[in-house]
Amino acid sequence: MPDQDAGSLSFKLVYYGPAQSGKTTNLLRLHDLLSPELKGEVMTMETKDDRTLFFDLLPLGFRAPSGLLIKLRLFTVPGQVAHDGTRKAVLSRADGIVFVADSDRTQETNNGEAFQSMADNCHRVGLDFEHIPLVVQFNKRDLPGAVPEAEIRERWEAAPWPLHFAVALTGDGVEATFESLLRALYRRHDAELGLARDHGVSEQAFVAGILGRP
Amino acid sequence: MNSSDFDREWRLGELFDARMLERVAPPLAELLGADLAILDRDGAPLWGRPAAEARREALVLEIEPAGYLASSTADPARLHSAGRMFTALLRAEARYRMASALHIEAITQDFETLKLEHSRLLASEARYRKLSEELEARVEAQVADLEARQQQLYQAEKLASIGQLAAGTAHEINNPLGFVSSNLGSFKLYLDKFAALHGRLAEGEAAWQSLDLDFVLEDGAELLADCTTGLERIARIVADLKSFSNEGRPPTELADLNGCLQHAVSVVGTPPAGIQLHTSLAPLPQLACNPGHLNQVFFSLIRNAMQAIQDAGRPGTVGIASEASPAGIHIRIADDGVGMSPAQLAKAFEPFYTTRAIGTGTGLGLSTARNIVLAHHGSIELASTPGAGTTATLFFPTAP
Repeated sequence: MPDQDAGSLSFKLVYYGPAQSGKTTNLLRLHDLLSPELKGEVMTMETKDDRTLFFDLLPLGFRAPSGLLIKLRLFTVPGQVAHDGTRKAVLSRADGIVFVADSDRTQETNNGEAFQSMADNCHRVGLDFEHIPLVVQFNKRDLPGAVPEAEIRERWEAAPWPLHFAVALTGDGVEATFESLLRALYRRHDAELGLARDHGVSEQAFVAGILGRP
Repeated sequence: MNSSDFDREWRLGELFDARMLERVAPPLAELLGADLAILDRDGAPLWGRPAAEARREALVLEIEPAGYLASSTADPARLHSAGRMFTALLRAEARYRMASALHIEAITQDFETLKLEHSRLLASEARYRKLSEELEARVEAQVADLEARQQQLYQAEKLASIGQLAAGTAHEINNPLGFVSSNLGSFKLYLDKFAALHGRLAEGEAAWQSLDLDFVLEDGAELLADCTTGLERIARIVADLKSFSNEGRPPTELADLNGCLQHAVSVVGTPPAGIQLHTSLAPLPQLACNPGHLNQVFFSLIRNAMQAIQDAGRPGTVGIASEASPAGIHIRIADDGVGMSPAQLAKAFEPFYTTRAIGTGTGLGLSTARNIVLAHHGSIELASTPGAGTTATLFFPTAP
């Protein structure tokens, strides 16, 4: 449930995935690519070898015609297996999730385990995994050992979540992934928050406001 | 959102308390060379007193002002620089606060998980403990049940023996009972003659002769003597039974085992046709024993021997012998009946092992016999050759 007070509405979005799948890179590229009305600095907490120890945070926001400030706070979880407690704490209170998988064939097991841990952790922190807005991104499409797109699509055919393919280093597919999550987020919360009815924010305006498109 | 959540939106007053502001604000004001106040995000002063017309410089932590620097006299460019510096300080503090709050949250969650697992472990341990207690109780109940059943079977074997005894005894008693009863019938007729005499007293001697009372008197005395003999026979059988059942005797007494053997033989009764009983009993020392129980042992063995001969379908002899040695008393009960195979012999003493048809033997005779012998610190051994016969050898120590 998004955090709400008199003048603002705050969504928490979490980038989840196995170690070094490119979650922080997604955030850094979004910071470069997006130009919403309000955009903060990326707050990173990396160790010296560029591994996320706690989380990264990118705050974004725009003001609705009604005057409501709509804020999005994008977090990444630490991917390393050892930090499961931290991962759970970061995942707590999430309103939407991007699962960033590593396309390399050698990482298939890690992807699977991370996805399972995400589902388990959702249940543990009280998130409704069946209904939470979730999109899946297969990152590192430029790797020579990447599993072919057709094979991935076939494997995920029965899953209800949108699939995206990206090269986060170059920014390719990063924005599309995020937009996909924004749309799922809007559809999930529009009615209960009265985004269109009370604040004059359509799905298109919501996406445009966050992405910073004219 | 909870006030301890790491991802809440932090307020300036929360990140920098009064003491921290007291350390940072005065040097900042000196650098500015102007008046300075620090305000919370809703404009409330946290340090200093802002002038009404003061210029405000927003301190943006994420995308919204977390607070303001306010000054009425500072150079705008300098105030902006001071704001950037103060924001950098705030962000560093926020990063540190968020990281530590997250750390605590993660540890708390891990701890909660551990506590949960611990409580689950305790619960499962309690479950297993309860189960094991129940198991013990169930095992005890089943053991008690088995013991009760064994007791019942033991009792059934006793009853079966008693049944055989009863059949034999009935036969033995019926015979004297029959002639005693017949004699008494005749005697009543004789009394009728004396009653008739009473009506013919006037006839005198003629009546006595006519009624043949000389014979009546003589035969009546014989009839009564026969009745006495018959009743004595019944009394002896009852006495044998009483000694066999050990009724009215202390559990342990000094007894002559030859007496026990003779009792057993007399209880077995007249052997069926084709079976001879041959006893060869040497004088024995007295043995402290339970004669009633030993009667049962000998009875079982003699009965088995006779059945073995019957099973062979030919005439045979049961030999019963006793002798004493310095160590104790030796008793041998041998037959030349069917004998047992080695496999049967190996199982002969096992409880419930029987070669007889269901309902005719409980398989407890030899088992019970051995238990009784062992209770007397004695031993019992079986030697058998199929087709040639079986010999049971018993030994009871007399030396202390």
